[in-house]
Amino acid sequence: MNKAARERRVPLWIAPVLIAFVAASCGGPPDTGEDAHVTTMGTAEVTAELVDLGGELIDRPMYDYAHVMKYRILKVHRGEFDGDTLYVAHYNPVKARADVADARVPEIGGSLKSFCVGDIHRMALEAPMDDFYMGGIINGFFDEWKGTIYWAVWTNRSGRP
Amino acid sequence: MRKAIACVVAIVSALAALAAYGGEASTGGDPVAQLAAELHDKGWIAFAAPGTGGAWDIFLARPDGSDRRNLTNTPDFEEVAPRFSPDSTKMLYRRLAKGTQLDHDKWGFQGQLVIAEPDGGNPIVFGDEGEFPWASWSPDGKRVVCLDKKGIEVVDLATKEIVERYPRQGIYQQLCWAPDGAWFCGVANHGGASWTVVRVNAKSGELNPVRSYQNCTPDWFPDSRHIILSSRPAGQPGAEGYGYTQLWMVSGDGQEQRLVYGEDGFHIYGGALSPDARYVAFTRFPKDGSGAAYGGAPLCIMRMADAPSIGGLSPDLRRLHPDTKDGPILVLDPAWEPHWTYADVGGDR
Repeated sequence: MNKAARERRVPLWIAPVLIAFVAASCGGPPDTGEDAHVTTMGTAEVTAELVDLGGELIDRPMYDYAHVMKYRILKVHRGEFDGDTLYVAHYNPVKARADVADARVPEIGGSLKSFCVGDIHRMALEAPMDDFYMGGIINGFFDEWKGTIYWAVWTNRSGRP
Repeated sequence: MRKAIACVVAIVSALAALAAYGGEASTGGDPVAQLAAELHDKGWIAFAAPGTGGAWDIFLARPDGSDRRNLTNTPDFEEVAPRFSPDSTKMLYRRLAKGTQLDHDKWGFQGQLVIAEPDGGNPIVFGDEGEFPWASWSPDGKRVVCLDKKGIEVVDLATKEIVERYPRQGIYQQLCWAPDGAWFCGVANHGGASWTVVRVNAKSGELNPVRSYQNCTPDWFPDSRHIILSSRPAGQPGAEGYGYTQLWMVSGDGQEQRLVYGEDGFHIYGGALSPDARYVAFTRFPKDGSGAAYGGAPLCIMRMADAPSIGGLSPDLRRLHPDTKDGPILVLDPAWEPHWTYADVGGDR
């Protein structure tokens, strides 16, 4: 390899950094998303594909919101669901799930760092959400869906089951 | 000579009396000074403000800012959000652990509920941390109404038992019971919109929206037919489209919507009416959040007869409200969440 070719080569350390970066945002390596929290918290548990964010995620640190998102159920681990469409409210979704618990909502979390359409999430859920959350709700599906909205207790990234 | 001295003393006494009672002669025609003089003996305002050492305490002052005194003076606690009982024989407030960051949207379930004499004496801690969230007085002062995830709960003060429970219907903060007992108002998710102020019939549970889109801190007028609230209307170009929060007066059925005070560049919160609704106190701060994170915001008082009033240049707001009266605004020391009584809770000092 001549000197010019050596200079054009991508350093070997770039690859794991890129993989880690991608995994930390959207489209990381798949896994089952299973852990001790998601399998025990809440009263229902699914692996589902995020199909619609339901509008722009608001980033206003002064105000707390739950944001309703639309999912397609891929696998039911616990509980019973009608059909494969699921509406789930996530608390302050611009925050990583590991950092989202606060005085208003102390017992939620997960490994998910950001919400991207097409990603697969394994979630521990409660319902109805009003029994578990008292605060502002952004619901872009209000005209589309009047049924149960689930409350996300624990949200992990997952691969397709 | 004696006659001359007596004459001078009489003249000086007369001038002093005029100054003390705030007549025209003492204010020189200054409308703000006239307002202050008019307000001096209009009862007392309780509010939270930083005390010695910086912790929040409950203060009491005349509505012109005079006779200000620290009622709690507890450097080991943060005390906020005082509300006099309807007969002004009691006061409730929340007591937070020292160093707790007061949150303008979470304070209703921060810390413990305390019930004290209206001058701050004999404080009784009524519940544990987070209990009796968003407590506010019943019309008879014998109960408090609280807002919990499980619903609207009426708690008897003598027994601490929940004596009535209503569906929450999406209400999530700042619940208040109308003086006539017939209605509740609060901030709710309603019709797909958060931050909607709603009214609930206390008998039937029927709910109606009062004002939608970015509204909070509702409280009742003494007539139980109107509500004062803070509102940040959509479409404001100021603050890069975020807009500024204004004080509004709205009828319980939502039909009447009227600006009380607004000022481009400032957020108006904490609307607290005098017991006869002739005056309103509010806080005014350039950042959103009512100054909760900054030790409060300047306390302002205006006459309701001067509504709508607009402060500063506010060209955008003036275009929308050309009927502004631009009445005088008395600006006092920083405060947070004021509450007003005409009872003589402060006594003479």
